Amino acid sequence: MSKFEKLQPWLGLVCRLTLGGVLFVAGYLKVDKLEISQMAVRSYELLPIPLANFLGVVLPFFEVVIGLLLILGAATRIMAALGGFTMFIFIIAIAQAWARGLNIDCGCFGGGGAVAPGETRYLQEILRDAGLVAMALFLLRYPVTKFSIDKAPKQSTAGDSE
Amino acid sequence: MAQAKKSNSGKPNSGKPNSGKDNFTRNLVVAVVVGVALIMLVPTVLSKQGDSTAAIPSSVSAEDGYGIIFNKELTNVPFIEIYEDFQCPACARFEAINGAYIEELITTKKAKVAFHTLSFLGRESQIAANAAACSADQGKFMEFHKTLYANQPAENTGAWNSQYFTTLGIGIGISSSDYDKCVKNEEYKGWVRNVAEAGSNRNINSTPTVLINGKEIDRNTEYGSVADFMLAVSRA
Repeated sequence: MSKFEKLQPWLGLVCRLTLGGVLFVAGYLKVDKLEISQMAVRSYELLPIPLANFLGVVLPFFEVVIGLLLILGAATRIMAALGGFTMFIFIIAIAQAWARGLNIDCGCFGGGGAVAPGETRYLQEILRDAGLVAMALFLLRYPVTKFSIDKAPKQSTAGDSE
Repeated sequence: MAQAKKSNSGKPNSGKPNSGKDNFTRNLVVAVVVGVALIMLVPTVLSKQGDSTAAIPSSVSAEDGYGIIFNKELTNVPFIEIYEDFQCPACARFEAINGAYIEELITTKKAKVAFHTLSFLGRESQIAANAAACSADQGKFMEFHKTLYANQPAENTGAWNSQYFTTLGIGIGISSSDYDKCVKNEEYKGWVRNVAEAGSNRNINSTPTVLINGKEIDRNTEYGSVADFMLAVSRA
């Protein structure tokens, strides 16, 4: 057994807890401040306003659910796919705001909306989300992790359920 | 063994261990978490639809985004719309700088003015917005507005409760039990939600946001001094 095979479930655990933890906290901080969350989504100027308002309400709940299930390790692969996809969309949204010269906070952990020019942190936000996408991809490839309530597949070869 | 993991799922697999198919525990957990989230989410989404049957203060009309309006009958004057949250420090600054001028425009009938009291900063913003509507019914909204901003505490510290607003009412010369009742029972709670909803449908993303004749003025250059604000009004 190679070193990587031994390490992989633990790496997976780290990815699961990090991605899940970030999603859970991000959602939890917004779930009782939905008007601010709606405002944050609107300020990306990407979606029609009614749709942005709807997304502003749904997204925090979605993040809490995906985050919680990732932390528990339930349906790891599906949740990692959903979480990674969400982060990927965030990257696109932040990048377009940056490219268009909007001055907004990503509103990732509550807050959001317009900020003063020069107070944007687009690069950090994109790098952080890119790191999380990488973790999601790792989990997608190797969904078997330590301390998960998913059932282990028959063979011990990781990532064989494709 | 890399995959050495506790077999803690609800049902033991008959026959072959760990077939990878029986995921009872997992499915139960997923169902419970998703179910609870949906139970919380659905009523929230529905309540965001607004409530057209909610009581509204006398100086308010639904077609103007539920704002509290002064000089509604005037035409050919600038229409100033102010979106604010009583707890927002920038709104208190805007009021301190431009409030007296706006009040003058109202009393001299040189502008039509709508105040939209948003409440996204939290519970105490809702209590304040409700009390503001109660004061509007007593014809004391401008006094209420000015006094409240002049004494703005830190956000959500528990300072703004119904007792506070009852006392404030006495301070600005309201002597009506209707006002006290209105504050205590939050009679305009539905209206407060409607104002918030109308604001979000109009893409108001920060407070204060000021529009003149439907066009947002520049928050970076036209809020900070009364001279600049006057210019913005006179341009309209």
